Amino acid sequence: MTQWDDSRAAAVSENVADESSTSSANQLADPDPFETEKETVFGEYWMYAGHANSIAEPGQFFTRTVGDRQLIVVRGHDGEIKAFDNVCAHRGSKMVEDTPMTDPGGGSRIQCPYHLWTYDLDGELRSTPKSFEDASLNPDLENEDVQEFDCETNGLNDVHVDSVGPLLFVSLSDDPPALSEQVGVMTDRLESLSLEGYEHGRRIAEEVECNWKTVAGAALERLRRGDRLAGLEPSDAALETADRHWLVRSTRDGGREAQVHYLWPNLTIEVYDDVDGYGTCRIDPIDGDRCQLIADYYVRDGDLEEKERERIRTSRRRRAELVELAGRRRDDHEASAQARLEPDDTVGSLHQLVTGGDADR
Amino acid sequence: MSAQRQVAYAASCPDCDVDLHGDDPNEIVEFYRRHSSVTGHDVEFTRIQPDLTDAVTEDDLKEVYTLEDVVAKLEAEYEDGVPIGAVAAAMSEQGLSIGETLEKIHEIRMGGGLYEPQDDHLRAF
Repeated sequence: MTQWDDSRAAAVSENVADESSTSSANQLADPDPFETEKETVFGEYWMYAGHANSIAEPGQFFTRTVGDRQLIVVRGHDGEIKAFDNVCAHRGSKMVEDTPMTDPGGGSRIQCPYHLWTYDLDGELRSTPKSFEDASLNPDLENEDVQEFDCETNGLNDVHVDSVGPLLFVSLSDDPPALSEQVGVMTDRLESLSLEGYEHGRRIAEEVECNWKTVAGAALERLRRGDRLAGLEPSDAALETADRHWLVRSTRDGGREAQVHYLWPNLTIEVYDDVDGYGTCRIDPIDGDRCQLIADYYVRDGDLEEKERERIRTSRRRRAELVELAGRRRDDHEASAQARLEPDDTVGSLHQLVTGGDADR
Repeated sequence: MSAQRQVAYAASCPDCDVDLHGDDPNEIVEFYRRHSSVTGHDVEFTRIQPDLTDAVTEDDLKEVYTLEDVVAKLEAEYEDGVPIGAVAAAMSEQGLSIGETLEKIHEIRMGGGLYEPQDDHLRAF
């Protein structure tokens, strides 16, 4: 039987028991809360952005949208990774086109295509076109109107970046707590897995007609049952929970340990026991009724062999089952407008976190 | 048993083996934008509303050839501008992916050949 580590479960389960009895399941699928969640969840917590190995060289970057904000995640000349709003400090134009982590862009500077303001990789304004500085080159400009741009104050808007191993997280909050506070004891667990030794093999993105929390709740429901891990008897799986993460671990026949982590608010990390690799899947909301599942698979050298392709097919089948379960939960919620969440309902746990009911935030 | 209603448009990403169905052709374009922004993959139409293919036939596409002509041809069907999804669907008959069509639309708009009476709807000058 699935085992609970009660010492770690206490913070969530107590609150959920208090709060969920008054919660309507329909609140979870109501599109209005999504606008609020852009601030209270996606604007507040650390969000998974991508994998550091995908931007291994200075100047490489990818874009990531969190809530309504489009970000550039870039490796600087000094090797440090920074993130900025993808918005020019001049007129607020979008600077770089959407660039997925799987096909990163590159360059020694970031330049806005509209008026050619150019920024260093650390976000500082480097140059503006001569026509901004020399009135004789610009019929719309008088000498007295020429401004001197302070490079520091006209830089790109910084967004906080932190990492657990190679997994990069961003926070839109002005003053976020340390990432380790959100990830908790999982920081050490994940770092001990040496995830940086793996390269990206494949990305699959799909859309689901469900609120993101419904899908997250279904994922947690499966974690709790221990049935997300292929061929495991429930007694093989151990579940640990804490405020903002859930973990199922299992070892078969003395082999590699399979692990499935769920990190609040929307990331799963699956360490496989049948191939040398792991996968991540983030659940990104599109709106209040739909979300996008973005799954990435990592293997030692990035080249997929047949057994790894088979592992991806297996993961997809399991994700299809997850989507089916989420669809049933969505239908259940819609069918019973006043449905009450069970105290141990994992969706209730998510609701607890979304509404900020946990005591320590 | 009731027959399942067939939606007007469908598109898929062959790389991810995922698809989307909808009655509004611009929904397909939105799907393409979301999908492409995280994967870089293009998306192909797999079903197109029969009325549209009647309005712009394969012969038309061979004959008129340019995207502006396709927009002009479809204008009669849409009062408030031709949805870019309908243009992309028609152009897919000519072998263009949605990404390729959107790129062409952008080029032509920048050159003044097309304008948008409302977002993601086109008219020819």
